[in-house]
Amino acid sequence: MLRALSAWETAIYRSSRQDSNICRQRARASDIRVIPENPPTRSSLFPKRCSDLIADNFSEAEETAEAMAYSLSLSLLYLGLLCGNGPVSARGSKLFTPDPSRGPHFTGCRSREQETFRCWWSAGTFQNLTEPGALRVFYQTKNALSSEWKECPDYTHTVENECYFNKTFTHIWTSYCIQLRSVPQNITYDEACFTVENIVHPDPPIGLNWTLLNVSRSGLHFDILVRWAPPPSADVQMGWMSLVYQVQYRVRNTSQWEMLDLESGTQQSIYGLHTDKEYEVRVRCKMSAFDNFGEFSDSIIVHVAQIPSKESTFPMTLVLIFGVIGVVILLILLIFSQQQRLMVIFLPPIPAPKIKGIDPELLKNGKLDQLNSLLSSQDMYKPDFYHEDPWVEFIQLDLDDPPEKNEGSDTQHLLGLSRSGSSRVLNFKSDDDSGRASCYDPETPDPEDLASLLPGHSGQGEQHPLVSRSSSSFPELGVQQTSEVVETPIQAQPAVPSWVNMDFYAQVSDFTPAGGVVLSPGQLNSSPEKKKEEENEKKKIQFQLLSDGAYTSENTARQLSADVPPGPGPEQGYQSFPTQAVEGNLWNGEYLVSASDSQTPYLLPEAPPVPILPPVSDYTVVQEVDAQHSLLLNPPSSQPTVCSHSPNKHLPAMPTMPMGYLTPDLLGNLTP
Amino acid sequence: MKESEEKARSLLTLKQVILQVWLCCASLWRFWVSHAVPLDCKDETGSLTHCTSISQEKLLDRVIQHAELIYRVSEESCTLFEEMFVPYPLHTLRNQAGNVCHSKPFPIPGSKSEIQQISDTWLLHSVLILVQSWMEPLLYLQTTLDRYDDAPDALLNKTKWVSDKLLSLEQGVVVLIRKMLNEGILTSSSAIEQTLAPYDGQSPEVLESVLRDYNLLTCFKKDAHKMETFLKLLKCRQSNKLSCLSH
Repeated sequence: MLRALSAWETAIYRSSRQDSNICRQRARASDIRVIPENPPTRSSLFPKRCSDLIADNFSEAEETAEAMAYSLSLSLLYLGLLCGNGPVSARGSKLFTPDPSRGPHFTGCRSREQETFRCWWSAGTFQNLTEPGALRVFYQTKNALSSEWKECPDYTHTVENECYFNKTFTHIWTSYCIQLRSVPQNITYDEACFTVENIVHPDPPIGLNWTLLNVSRSGLHFDILVRWAPPPSADVQMGWMSLVYQVQYRVRNTSQWEMLDLESGTQQSIYGLHTDKEYEVRVRCKMSAFDNFGEFSDSIIVHVAQIPSKESTFPMTLVLIFGVIGVVILLILLIFSQQQRLMVIFLPPIPAPKIKGIDPELLKNGKLDQLNSLLSSQDMYKPDFYHEDPWVEFIQLDLDDPPEKNEGSDTQHLLGLSRSGSSRVLNFKSDDDSGRASCYDPETPDPEDLASLLPGHSGQGEQHPLVSRSSSSFPELGVQQTSEVVETPIQAQPAVPSWVNMDFYAQVSDFTPAGGVVLSPGQLNSSPEKKKEEENEKKKIQFQLLSDGAYTSENTARQLSADVPPGPGPEQGYQSFPTQAVEGNLWNGEYLVSASDSQTPYLLPEAPPVPILPPVSDYTVVQEVDAQHSLLLNPPSSQPTVCSHSPNKHLPAMPTMPMGYLTPDLLGNLTP
Repeated sequence: MKESEEKARSLLTLKQVILQVWLCCASLWRFWVSHAVPLDCKDETGSLTHCTSISQEKLLDRVIQHAELIYRVSEESCTLFEEMFVPYPLHTLRNQAGNVCHSKPFPIPGSKSEIQQISDTWLLHSVLILVQSWMEPLLYLQTTLDRYDDAPDALLNKTKWVSDKLLSLEQGVVVLIRKMLNEGILTSSSAIEQTLAPYDGQSPEVLESVLRDYNLLTCFKKDAHKMETFLKLLKCRQSNKLSCLSH
């Protein structure tokens, strides 16, 4: 160690003027790696300028005494190597770009096969030294035997500034120090020390080729086996050099090389390459357990075309098709097996009409008393329901002026439409006279004026389900009635706005001779006319009362006509739907009564004032249906007739709207 | 290090075999006839028994593997020590440690041409001398490294391992010499005088001692490489004399 230090020391003092060379000398202490091509293996942590450091140290060195020389030399050595090794510690595999900014210096030494080596130098900025012979190389082998400086054994003639050490002069495992001198001036410009095995950069391997190992099933990837031969210059067979290889590959024309692990054999597999991509593969080698890689071999191109594998896609499509078909079949089977349930889910059955709170069974089988009590407590009528098509429910029978009714008008058409659509229309067919007289309440409105007659039965054939089938007596009337009734509402249409604000229900107080119904003024702003002349004709008409006061028989109509002023009981108002009798005025405006076009009695607001009637319920409860298919309302105490129905008398007892709408099937149960 | 462990295990068996063989050979060296004949071994009782021996080629292979391993481990130890203790700028000192390594009793040829010219005997003996010359310094190095405060365990383990394996290598080379050269050599590690400076009580962290140890490691690495190369050359000669000599 001491000898080395003293060598440094002398070198420092001798070349005190050449700061950069001192740095270079320190750099030469390594195995002549000049310009780092690759980043240094160990980070260069000392970016300071070498000259600055040396200058500092020089000033420091000059001031200290000799006793401190030893330690100083150490520190100088340290600094010198510090600044010198920055750029040089890198193990560059590329050589020798001479540094033009410096003086004469070595640019590198290399051995290819650990048997010979060469050194190169450059004159640098000293252009006057470029001629051959101006600069000379001296070397010294630092073994025990000799320590004198010998000159380069062979200056290569073909290459400029190269010194070649052949086999005889190359000693492995011995360190060499070389100096670049200018003999005439006796100046050493550069010095470097190294051992031969540390400057070995093997030649690139040869014979690089590849074979396909396999292709993946998808046809997208493949594996290859790459083979090569060791460089012929390296005596691997004899065991003089043990080489390890490194394979690199990349996709062609990309910049990133993939590096594989070091391989001591001469073949390597590369896995996972993509078909249809061109790859470049190259290999280089180095001595095992050393750091200096040699040059790369020439790249080879690896390419495997992608086979458009129809076979792989064909089964896939088949599988897809069959899968879809299977799924569809499954679905169909499922649907058919679970049809009932699916039907319930997707097409829920329309619930049967149900009266809230009332058991349908009771309606079917129960007594009328029970029904009465039940229905009386129910509020089942909805006024809105009536508001939809008020005209539908109330049709006046007009027997006098059939031809007039044939005139087309807007209202007629309207009614015609609504007539056909409504099923709730209650046709009332007049019964024969046989049973009418006893059953009719004089105060009940003229049945034919009852607006509940719907135009729905344009033909006599169509009968309302609630109407009994005693059509034998009615046919001639029915048609006329319907026509009349149809007409009246039509004619009454213009007058609608006049009393559209009025209540729906009105009590028919009287009948006009023309067939018009005079409504009671109590619930109605307009007072219908009464036509007493009609009464006789209307005897033939017997109205089936569906609900309280829904229909009035001829008798009642007669009675009504006889008793003009007093407003009929609230039950006179025809109603097909039960509503709150308290509101009793619901139907008031609904009647379409007109014997003729000019006679729209109850529709006209300018009807003669009718004495105000006491507000009474318009409706009564149908108790039963007698043999003559007439609805029996609550038997009035004053009525001795079989058809004991006196709606107006019973109405006070039942102020509320008693009953709901009877469905056809319910009516069927009711009829005996 | 897995493969090194596997190789270590194989070398353990080698060690045992070598020991046994050495004992047999040492006691019955005059009955040694040829390479291929298995040696007659004498067990503890003294009776002649049939030894389990290996062929010369296999032994040489194993010795070479041994030497390779030692070289690789020495290189790793040197790197570890360098990274740990040696200041960065002084890393280059490894390359100029040629004159500092302790000298050998006789010069060992360095150039390939010279090495090609020397005989097998010379090669083997060179290897043996090298091995024997490093036994003591490695022990010294072990003790020195133990004194470092923060020496990594890997470094200590490697150094210890190398010392052990060096012993095995020595024994293997001895057997090889016996087998190949029909010579009997007494293994004596004290034959080589050591030129190492004695432990002078300095703190191990001083740059001086650090550099000294570093030098030691680099020298050993170089010599290990030398050993490995020699043995490989020998192997080549054994297998194919013509091509190896006439390169």
